[in-house]
Amino acid sequence: MSVFFSLLKKELYSCFCSPIAYVVMFFFWALTGGNFIWLLGQLAQGESLTIASQLMFSGPLLTFALPVVIPLITMRLFAEERKLGTLEALLTTAVRVPELVLAKFAGALVFYVVLWLPVFVYAYIQHALCPESVSGFPDGGALRAGAVGVVLVGGLYISVGLFMSSLTSSQIIAAIGGFALLFGSTLSLALLAYSAQSHGLRAAGQYYSSFAHMMDFSRGVLDSRSIVMYLTYAAWFLFASVRVVEGKRS
Amino acid sequence: MIKVSGVTKKYPARLAVDNISFEVDRGEIVGFLGPNGAGKTTTMRMLTGYLPMNSGSIEVAGFDVVRQPQEVRRRIGYLPENCPLYPEMRVDEYLRFRAELKGVQASARKAKINEVKEQCGLTEVGKRIIGQLSKGYRQRVGLADSLVHDPDLLVLDEPTVGLDPNQIRQVRALIKQLAERHTILLSTHILQEVEAICERILIIKDGRIVASDTEENLHRKLHACSIIALEVQADKAAVLEHIDGVGGMDVRNINELADGWVWVEVEADSPDMRVELFNLAVAEGWSLRELTERQHSLEDTFVQITQNQDVVQ
Repeated sequence: MSVFFSLLKKELYSCFCSPIAYVVMFFFWALTGGNFIWLLGQLAQGESLTIASQLMFSGPLLTFALPVVIPLITMRLFAEERKLGTLEALLTTAVRVPELVLAKFAGALVFYVVLWLPVFVYAYIQHALCPESVSGFPDGGALRAGAVGVVLVGGLYISVGLFMSSLTSSQIIAAIGGFALLFGSTLSLALLAYSAQSHGLRAAGQYYSSFAHMMDFSRGVLDSRSIVMYLTYAAWFLFASVRVVEGKRS
Repeated sequence: MIKVSGVTKKYPARLAVDNISFEVDRGEIVGFLGPNGAGKTTTMRMLTGYLPMNSGSIEVAGFDVVRQPQEVRRRIGYLPENCPLYPEMRVDEYLRFRAELKGVQASARKAKINEVKEQCGLTEVGKRIIGQLSKGYRQRVGLADSLVHDPDLLVLDEPTVGLDPNQIRQVRALIKQLAERHTILLSTHILQEVEAICERILIIKDGRIVASDTEENLHRKLHACSIIALEVQADKAAVLEHIDGVGGMDVRNINELADGWVWVEVEADSPDMRVELFNLAVAEGWSLRELTERQHSLEDTFVQITQNQDVVQ
């Protein structure tokens, strides 16, 4: 366990040492800040409060920003270790591969949550400022469910990005691969969920689409099916990463 | 300390290590030589448990590398090729991180880190960022890392590659100093390094161990004759004729020098034949200003073994 925390500490250290973290933070915070200002404008014009929480966590802009942002966070995780040769130095100590993969995943997840912190603050401000009597206001439960959704979707995306990074020693390839996979799947599943002709395809799209799930989460609907789905897929990608790191040594 | 038996490693396209066996005793310093691509790094990686092997077994301090990898890793200090480090970390932070990973007790960590820093001459640079250090210092950080958990065995893969002559000398002195307390397996291309440090030499070629012995024994096995160099003041043709006339001696090289002296290199059955050469010079009335036995260099031996000589065990 102490090895895990040493690795996690090192991951966070390296993450916050890299300029890319601050570039990502700048753009993501600009995006979420702009989103909040726009949302306040909408509310001022008399828009229903029910959409407030939804737009806060799952506006289309945010949904499609994540497939860009997350590969930028995850690209260095294994690709850099490979390039520097430090993977060999790590794996000839007491470190076990699953421990390493989990520490890298946890480190990226912590940074991802830091990215979302301002949004949680905005949500709190909005919640504090609006009188409870206003009907239809997204209550604390909806905000909390939205936050859970954000972490679940982020966790899955990070595990995909980490898997991509485990495949190569080039950060660029890891980033582009992660982006292609995440953006492609997010877009095609959202299209399927909302505009497929056949009922079956539409149901399938809604079942898998992170966009559709985020809409649910941020309405306060925590569906155990989607929770299980996110956890399962994230676990699968982490397991695959472990296998790749172990296998690529030989 | 190390017992390698019948180890084979296949990569998809080629056979990297072909059924090698060797042993290293506790306290020995062994130089691991071979041309590029001969299998040195692969062997070291299998030894440290980084690479799995296809067949055979490796024991380090009595523990099996495959079945008891954690026990083995605790006993090996490994400096991989090119000395990989995290450039963004400070020296102290890096050593602390590595000490944590290697399970150095929290209470002993600080003292241990200070000890290896002092040993490797890093006391002054503890607060510096690794990426800004010179290559020589980075190499020392790598060495300090390999020492931080007080291992019995040090496995060093080309520890002086890419250093300037002064840095090479410093790192070499450091390794020599470490040899007092550790068993060392050292791979290198610099043969003077092996001559200076190692007690025994292992030579690997095309994935097979082709030689394993002390330097002197290798020379003796490979070079049946001695080489004697002499410089005399005499006629070149006369020198050639007279020396060839002595039994058990052949002129290998003869040159007339600018100052009129003649330089001769003779292959003789034994170094003692210098006496005969001296007597010859006296008898012929030649002035003599040099008469020495030339040492075979490790380089000659290495080239001979890796290019054309059959197995010397």
